[in-house]
Amino acid sequence: MKIRQALKMALRSILGNKGRSVLTMLGIIIGIASVMTIVSVVNGQNQQSLKQFEAMGVNRISVSLSMYDGRDTFQELYNYCNSLGKDLVVGVTPSGYASATVVYGTKNSEAMQGNYENMYSEDGTVRTDLELPPDLYYGSDQYAACNNFQIEKGRDLSFLDVEQYHQVCVMGARAARNFFGYADPLGKDLMVNGYPFKVVGVYAEKDPDSPYSQDNIIVFPYTANRLISPGQSINEFVVKAASREATDEAISRLNSFLAGLTGNGERGWGNAYSDNQWQNSMNEQAAMMSMVLGGIAAISLLVGGIGIMNIMLVTVTERTREIGIRRAIGAERSSIVTQFLIEAAMLCGIGGIIGIAIGTVATRLTGQLLVKMDIWPSLSITLGAFLLSVMLGILFGIYPAAKASKLQPVEALRAE
Amino acid sequence: MLIEIKDVYKIYGEGLESEVRALDGVSLQIQRGEFVAVVGQSGSGKSTMMNVLGCLDVPTRGTYLLDGTDVRELTDKELSHIRNEQIGFIFQQYNLIQSLTVLENVELPLIYQGVGADQRREMALAALERVGLAGRIKHKPVEMSGGQQQRVAIARAIATHPPIIMADEPTGALDSHTGLEVLQFLQQLNQEGSTVILITHDNGIAATARRCVRLQDGKIVEDREQEVDWA
Repeated sequence: MKIRQALKMALRSILGNKGRSVLTMLGIIIGIASVMTIVSVVNGQNQQSLKQFEAMGVNRISVSLSMYDGRDTFQELYNYCNSLGKDLVVGVTPSGYASATVVYGTKNSEAMQGNYENMYSEDGTVRTDLELPPDLYYGSDQYAACNNFQIEKGRDLSFLDVEQYHQVCVMGARAARNFFGYADPLGKDLMVNGYPFKVVGVYAEKDPDSPYSQDNIIVFPYTANRLISPGQSINEFVVKAASREATDEAISRLNSFLAGLTGNGERGWGNAYSDNQWQNSMNEQAAMMSMVLGGIAAISLLVGGIGIMNIMLVTVTERTREIGIRRAIGAERSSIVTQFLIEAAMLCGIGGIIGIAIGTVATRLTGQLLVKMDIWPSLSITLGAFLLSVMLGILFGIYPAAKASKLQPVEALRAE
Repeated sequence: MLIEIKDVYKIYGEGLESEVRALDGVSLQIQRGEFVAVVGQSGSGKSTMMNVLGCLDVPTRGTYLLDGTDVRELTDKELSHIRNEQIGFIFQQYNLIQSLTVLENVELPLIYQGVGADQRREMALAALERVGLAGRIKHKPVEMSGGQQQRVAIARAIATHPPIIMADEPTGALDSHTGLEVLQFLQQLNQEGSTVILITHDNGIAATARRCVRLQDGKIVEDREQEVDWA
C-alpha cells in the first residue's frame, strides 16, 4: 500500500469524526502552543539583550584599576595596553566617565535629568522620545573603533586633538538630536562646565530601540579632563581585541599585569573582563530558562499524547471489524500498522499546526503585554514544534497500531 | 488439484473437558473450475471450513495444499497475499467498510495489491459494471439496499480476478428474488472458469451446486455430484 493512499485514508477517518478528532487534538494543541510560547518569549528576550551587546561590539575588553593610595596609574596602564601588540589588540582607548554640565542654547543636561521621572509611558513601555542627559566619556582617537561606532558626519577625534588639548567633541546620534534637533551640530560650540567645545563629528545611530541608548553620548579627547574635571584621573580603558581567542589571551595578560600593579589586590583593585563572557553566560541562562519552563510545559504535551493513545485504542476497538475486512481482502499486518500510525501522526500533526497558530498569537500577545517586546516565534522553533507533535503521534500511536495489527482476521471479522 | 486438505482438525480448547472439534479430521479435494456447496447446520463446522480454506484461520492439525503450496508453512504476510490475489470473499453481512464509498470499497483489494490509481479505478469500475452498479459509485453502503450492498461486495471480490470465489451464506440476508440473482451470478462466474465454494445451511441452495459436500459435527458425511439446471 502506498503512503499517499494511507494518508488519504487517515485524513478521511479524521474528518469522518470531526468532533472527536478536535477533542483528541486539544491536548496536543494546548501543549504545543504553551511550549512554543514559553520558548519563544525566553528566546526573544535573550535576543534583545544580545542585540545590545552586539551594538557594543564583540571582543571588547573593559579594564579598570584603582589604587587605594590614590596613585595615578593612567600612563602605566595605557602603555601596557598599547604594548600588547597588533596581533592581540586592534584598538585601545581610555574610557573615563566625565561628570559635567553640558549646555547649548536652552538645552541643558542638568535640566534633562528631570526627564528620568517620565521615562515610562502609561502602558509601562520605555519612552525613547525623551531628552535624557547624555553620558560623557573621555576617549582617544580609537574610541570609535573600540566601541563599535562609525562616523556619520564630520570627523572622528584625532591623535592631534588629544596631543594638543583641542577643545572638541564627537556626539552620538541621540545626543546630537537631543541638543540640536534637526539643525547641523557640526562646528557648533557646546558649553561644558563653562568651557566651549566644538562639535566635529556625529556617530551613526547603532542602538535606536533600547531605553538607555548607547547613542546618547558625547566623547571628549581624554586630555580634556584637565579642563572639565581637574584632578580626577582616568582609570578605565577599553581594549578591542583582534578575535575571540585574542580576547581570552589579552584578558589573562591584562589581569596578571593588574595583579602585579596591585600586589594581588593588596594595594588596589583591578580587573579586565569582556562582554563575550557575559554573552556566553546570558546565552546559557536563556537556554536553561527555556529548558526548565519548556520542560514544565512539555508535561502537558505528554498528557496530550496519552490522550491520543487512549482515543486510538478506542478507535481500534471500534473498528475491529473494519480491520478484519481489510485483513480478509489482503491487507498485510504492516499495512494496518501504517494506517493507524499515520492516523495518529496526522491527528497530532494537525493538532500541532493549530497549536503553532495559537502559539504564534500567544507569543505576540505575551511579548507585547507582558515583556513589552515585539517577538515572533523563530522558524526553528515553529518547525521543531511541528516535528515534535508528529513524533508524539507516532510514539503514542505505536501501541494502538500494534494492537490493531495483531488481531486475527477471523476473530476481527466476528466482531460486531 | 487446486485445493487439497487432508486430515484437518480445528480444535478449540484442546485437552480441556470443554474441547470443541469444529473440524474433526476432514479431507477434501477441489479441482479448478468446480462449483462446490458446503452445506450443514449451524455448528456443523462449515464456517470454520471456509475460514481454513480461505486462509483466514490456520488448522490445528493436518495439511492444506493450495495450488500445491503448503499453506501451514506460509508467513502471515504470504497468507495476506494469497487472500488478496487468489481468493475473493463474499460474506453474509456484506462486510463493506461503511466510511468508504462504493468505488473505494471495490478499489480496496487493488490498493493492497499495489495497483496504480488509474488502472485501479478502471478495474474497479469494470467490476461494478458487471454487477450493474456502475452508476452508484459515489454512494456510501448505508445508502443502498441489502441486495445492492451484496453486489458491491461481489464486485470487490471479483475486482482482482481471483481464481477462487468463496461465498459464506451470500444469500442469507437477502430476499429470495435477490438471493437468486446472487446465485445466478455465482453460476455465471463459475461458467467463466472461477472455482466457486459456497457455504450454506440451506439445502435448496446447496441443490443448485454441481457438487455438494455435507458437514455434520465437523465431519464430512456426504460428498456427491449433482445434476444442475443452470440458466
